[in-house]
Amino acid sequence: MQWPSAQPPPPGTQPPAPYPYSTATAFTPVQVRQTFGQPYAAAPPASYPPPPAYGPLPTHPPAAPLHTNPAAPLTAAPPSTTPEPAKKKIDWPESVRNYVQRSFQTSNLDPSVSRAEMEAKLKETISYANDQGHMYSINWEKMPLPQEMIKEERARARALQQASSFSALSISPTSGSKKRKSTDFGEGAAPPWRNGQNRLEDRVTFSADKRPAPVEDAQSKNQSKFQKQLEKRQKRFDGGYKSTYREPTPPPSDGPVVGTCETLEKRYLRLTAPPVPSVVRPERVLRQTLELLKRKWKKEQNYSYICDQFKSMRQDLTVQRIKNEFTVEVYEIHARIALEKGDLGEYNQCQTQLKALYKMGIKGKSIEFKAYRILYFIHTANRTALNDVLADLTAAEKEEEAIKHALDVRSALALGNYHRFFRLYNDTPNMGAYLMDMFVGRERLAAICNICKAYKPDVPLRFVTEELYFESDADAAQFILDYQGQDLLEDRNGTVVFLTGKAKELFEGPRKAAFSRVDIKGQI
Amino acid sequence: MDSLIRTFSEAQTSRHGYQLAQTLSPDLPQQQLQAIWQSCGHHDAQNVIKRGIQNSTSGFEKLPKDEVQGWSDVYLAYWKAIGELLPALNQAPQASWTKVYDAWKELLSALYRGYIGQGFEAWSIPCLYVVAKNLRIFALKADEERNNNVAAGDTSGQIFQDDFDPESEQHQKLEDCARQLNRIFTLCLNDRAPLEESRKWGIYYIINLLFKTYFKLNSASLSKNILKTLSAYRGDMPPLSAFPKSQQVTFKYYEGVLCFLEENYHQAEEHLTHAWSLCHKDAMKNKELILTYLVPCHLLTTHTLPSKKLLEPYPRLQKLFLPLCDCIKKGQLHAFDLALQEGENEFVKRRIYLSMERGRDLALRNLLRKVFIAGGFEEPKTEGGPRLRRTRIPIAEFVAAISLGSKKAMDTDEVECHMANMIYKDMMKGYIARERGFVVLSKSGAFPGTGV
Repeated sequence: MQWPSAQPPPPGTQPPAPYPYSTATAFTPVQVRQTFGQPYAAAPPASYPPPPAYGPLPTHPPAAPLHTNPAAPLTAAPPSTTPEPAKKKIDWPESVRNYVQRSFQTSNLDPSVSRAEMEAKLKETISYANDQGHMYSINWEKMPLPQEMIKEERARARALQQASSFSALSISPTSGSKKRKSTDFGEGAAPPWRNGQNRLEDRVTFSADKRPAPVEDAQSKNQSKFQKQLEKRQKRFDGGYKSTYREPTPPPSDGPVVGTCETLEKRYLRLTAPPVPSVVRPERVLRQTLELLKRKWKKEQNYSYICDQFKSMRQDLTVQRIKNEFTVEVYEIHARIALEKGDLGEYNQCQTQLKALYKMGIKGKSIEFKAYRILYFIHTANRTALNDVLADLTAAEKEEEAIKHALDVRSALALGNYHRFFRLYNDTPNMGAYLMDMFVGRERLAAICNICKAYKPDVPLRFVTEELYFESDADAAQFILDYQGQDLLEDRNGTVVFLTGKAKELFEGPRKAAFSRVDIKGQI
Repeated sequence: MDSLIRTFSEAQTSRHGYQLAQTLSPDLPQQQLQAIWQSCGHHDAQNVIKRGIQNSTSGFEKLPKDEVQGWSDVYLAYWKAIGELLPALNQAPQASWTKVYDAWKELLSALYRGYIGQGFEAWSIPCLYVVAKNLRIFALKADEERNNNVAAGDTSGQIFQDDFDPESEQHQKLEDCARQLNRIFTLCLNDRAPLEESRKWGIYYIINLLFKTYFKLNSASLSKNILKTLSAYRGDMPPLSAFPKSQQVTFKYYEGVLCFLEENYHQAEEHLTHAWSLCHKDAMKNKELILTYLVPCHLLTTHTLPSKKLLEPYPRLQKLFLPLCDCIKKGQLHAFDLALQEGENEFVKRRIYLSMERGRDLALRNLLRKVFIAGGFEEPKTEGGPRLRRTRIPIAEFVAAISLGSKKAMDTDEVECHMANMIYKDMMKGYIARERGFVVLSKSGAFPGTGV
């Protein structure tokens, strides 16, 4: 890569530093580059150098001639990047100079057309005229100003784009006009007012060039290596580079949908395409829906219907990006119903949303649901999540009754304090008992294992009933019988005793099994 | 750009991967970045770079055509990314880390294509390290930037979901980054070339990056999948010990922490000890991180406390662990609870709270042991016979001790429950005779491992 720089250093004379960038580069930082999205605007406008004889042109940036990028092959066409006044002194007619001046008059400037675009256009127009020898024959007074031409082109491109099937290339009108000029330099194309029809094709070819060059499939002689062949083969299997060259999917252009549906009830259907406003209910309607569902739930207790309806409500809220106290209410009610019915999958989805909604500062029953959340993670034995929950609680929240209860439950279990755990179980606020019911069985097993190992030779059944919080001695006995503990119960003078000393490993197996699987629908 | 190409050609000739990787680093002084960016323009960059790459090697060493194209694409992508990076570094108004991220991702993709189809050789994988590492950094910056102007509310792509997903909104780019890294992981893993020239040598570096990303994404569980995949391939893989030590240490550390989080303390201890023994002696930060998890592990598996000497160079760890250790040693339950509460935020942040909490068992054990020792000895049955400790202890004594220790009145049932736990966990040998109100402790080793 040799720049025709002033003194190309012979190879090898470079200092060994990894990046011996010469500080004597001929350019100064020109703040004209913007983004990749506008490739050409970025190129310094200097490609159009003012001829020396040109009158005072206040509009030309002085930085322009500093453009030292003489990688000229592209710009082989007429106006060479570096003006060579001695070689060819063009005598610019007065009319042309006036034309240029007119273009840059403040009153004629158009904010939608950038200076770089105008300069490029001017250059194109004038050099074309010069090449064709029309410099003197053209009526420069009547020539449309560059900004007018650009705007006209944009309109044309837009129209063409709509009509054409090239939409996949997604040429935005603005970038199109910018890109176009680059090609023109290379090919000395005719000015736009001569063959407007070709413009789009030009742009298309250009933009095609801009894309990553297609990988050649040619069998290179040097590819003798095992690895390379392997990869070639793999490539064939993959069907070329389709996977890596996927066109980006067009971004969903619209903002949130605004629903227009007036029907209260709606069956839940998973979205597979952008939502259609006519089947989405606005918040006003959803509020009525919620009232209706509450009534129906009380009256009919039909969970599959209610769950379906709530899911469709949640969907409507989501697609319309409605996040307010009403949203919280919907999720809270759905969460409670799911809890009551033991549908932990739905419950978990709701609580995840609720957590985020509370975090946004939307009011609701956050204490109640944060407490459930703790109990839920105890149930799922999700240590990581439990840790996160702890991290999220504020000191004040930890003092709230429901949360304190849940935290106490957690610590009692962590320390194996079944005595305390069952006292807490008896005294659970809100609907937490529904959650605790889910894991009280396995905790009883754990406790009974403890008792069997620690107490010798026996304990009264009453003791088990009280410690493990069974409703009655009969329930406790049933629990033991359920695990084939019939031999461990003995009637002694009217009181039943539990022969812990003989239990050995009886409850160990079931205990392990109970703790090893926590399968919940919807739980990752 | 030409000096970049010069380094490229040197590295190609000497097959020096790390030198080559240097040419794709964004961590250069801004002047140099500026120089690279301005060394070509949009219309000629492609040609300039390609010509440079073509001429960079000659004769015997000449690069195959495919590879020239591949590297040209890579450097073009690099050049473009620099163009996005510069304004971002200067905090220019049009700057955007999202754009930097996207441009950098293009660079990674160009490399990926190079390895898949353009014959990039395995010695050049350090390029992947540098590019992948920085992709993660840019992703973090992009997410931070976006989250700072939430007003923008860019939630496109969420539209098909029934519920919105706050986590992924917050970590959009980082999640994308994890996907990219995963591609690279597969790229390295699935290379079936002979080991000497296999990309498998890049695997642990990429895995470590993935771990870091997953931990940040709060989805440490995904790391498990990586480990599973890895163990499925382990047979075809160079042994971990053949990789650079830095990679070994990081990998072992994460493997240990993952086990730790699953309460698999024995394995965790094994991995962490491995990491600890390999860790460079001056890498204090890393050693501190390892100890953060190794100390609780050790506490729970062997019931031993860290020595003063071990923690001496780490004031932060001292502050973290010493108060608790002290309470455990002295069997002070109430003080332990207070210390745990005191350090709760710190513990929770490091995810060791739940483990440290279990240290209370040890404090309790030590307290019960004190009761046992205070019980003194039985009258020897025969004169001059061996003195025996009193092993039948009234529960009331323990109730008194625990109530005193935890500074609140405990009922007998709850104390029994604590004792039952101790016995169940084999921290105390004996049984409770409830009817008679006694605890009967073993005559030999009532408290295993403590000398009595």
